[in-house]
Amino acid sequence: MADVAIPLDLEREEHESATTRFFRTHASTLRGAFSLLVVAAVWEIAGRTGRWPLILAPISDIWLKFLQLAASGELLRHVLVSLNEFIVGFAMAAVFGVVLGIVIASSQTAKDVIDPWVSAVYATPTVALAPLFIFVFGIDAPSKMAVVFLLAVFPIVINTATGMTSTDRVYIEAARSFSANRMQIFTKVLIPSALPFIVAGLRLGIGRGLVGVVVGEFIGARAGLGYLIFKSSQGFQIDAMWVGVFLLAGTGVLAVSILQRVERRMAPWRQFELK
Amino acid sequence: MTAPKLALNSISMVYSQRGRRFVALRDISLDIEAGEFISLVGASGCGKTTLLRVVDGLVAPTHGEVLVDGARVTRPGPDRGFVFQQDALFPWRTVLNNIIFGLEVQGRAKHEALVRADALVRLVGLGGFEHHYPHELSGGMRQRANLARALTIDPDILLMDEPFAALDAQTREIMQAELLRIWRSDRKTVMFVTHQIDEAVYLADRVVVMTSRPGQIKAVLDVDIPRPRDLSVKRTPRFLELVDAIWKMIEEEVKAALRITDDDREVTSRPIATY
Repeated sequence: MADVAIPLDLEREEHESATTRFFRTHASTLRGAFSLLVVAAVWEIAGRTGRWPLILAPISDIWLKFLQLAASGELLRHVLVSLNEFIVGFAMAAVFGVVLGIVIASSQTAKDVIDPWVSAVYATPTVALAPLFIFVFGIDAPSKMAVVFLLAVFPIVINTATGMTSTDRVYIEAARSFSANRMQIFTKVLIPSALPFIVAGLRLGIGRGLVGVVVGEFIGARAGLGYLIFKSSQGFQIDAMWVGVFLLAGTGVLAVSILQRVERRMAPWRQFELK
Repeated sequence: MTAPKLALNSISMVYSQRGRRFVALRDISLDIEAGEFISLVGASGCGKTTLLRVVDGLVAPTHGEVLVDGARVTRPGPDRGFVFQQDALFPWRTVLNNIIFGLEVQGRAKHEALVRADALVRLVGLGGFEHHYPHELSGGMRQRANLARALTIDPDILLMDEPFAALDAQTREIMQAELLRIWRSDRKTVMFVTHQIDEAVYLADRVVVMTSRPGQIKAVLDVDIPRPRDLSVKRTPRFLELVDAIWKMIEEEVKAALRITDDDREVTSRPIATY
């Protein structure tokens, strides 16, 4: 049986120069980098005209501000504060969210009791509760952790439960036909089958959790990237504000790419479908 | 005569759907000898798959009982292996890990499982593909893996639910020949459900023809074609005679089910069109 067809571009590889080859194999990355460079250039020029001083600082000024804040150690302090709030809040959301999702998926009673709350609270813009959290948990880290938790937990709960319940029946039957018991069906079928959904939930949770950090710090904080952004914009320090925004964007990109790497290792069979 | 390997004693299966009783199987009795190859054919929806699931112990019959070596079946067991119709390989496991699943849930030592799996990989001709994921395999290779997975637990009885239905004609013939080779070397007792009448006749010692709703046994035909059989058997007069006889029986059933009058005979005289 002819089973796996691998296109062999032998000729092409032989005749092509090292440079063309580099451009061909990295075409996708190169186009992405080019796109970023063009926008940065336009930004720089627009910023230099000085027509929108309250919106655009030239990229080069933002860079200089970044170096200055980094050198003084102030930036590191803000980053560490925000990172701590985010990591603790998100870790709690991940653990609690996955467990609650599993509970909802495993018991109809639990589902009936919990589901209305999940739907109601998920549909509410929970950031509205952030001021309340400051009253309850104080102006420092715990209140931000609570906001991060509240924002990140719902997509994780919902995705975990959906992943568990959408397991194809045929896999459960197959496991049963091998006399697998309930626990084995749970660990060897339901969990691995739900894993891609859980990871997708975590990825959504990261985005929402970062929003939580910023909003929490806008409302009341003494340090952190959100605080830096808020304080700078209030004081018309547009370059410092952008430093904060860029760092947040970078954190988001980094966290999502780490998660993608984890997903690729934990669920290699999904790559095929996800494309 | 010795006691049958597998005895189906007046099995009936009744479902109630939206308050209506629906008889899927009625009073099915059949004795199958050890090492015998039985094919089950019948129009779509006649309950062939349901019967197979009852024998595996995945569902309990409403009336009647299944005896394996005289012992009543109440749940799936290691004496029966089920080969599923659809692609029931676990997509998150490699071929090798799919194959050892049955031994894994039995709690056997990993080393023992791997030795056994290795032999099976070679038996079904999947050498070199042990570490591939199912999505990386062709349909034919996936069904080989599916078969190997059922064989790992070394069941006395193989229950096969249209395992080759999704394969193209050529691959299907190759797989039929492979199945006969494996059956000859292992002397399993086989119940093979199929839509393909020529496949049923080619493989089996006896072909069981079922009626349409409710599923009952309409006839049991002895296939008196000597073994070993190769593909040329499919062109012998006796083979065609048997296939034709079964076609006619199923056509009757399909027509009865659809209440087609004689006027429509022209349209339905080719039974293949009714599938």
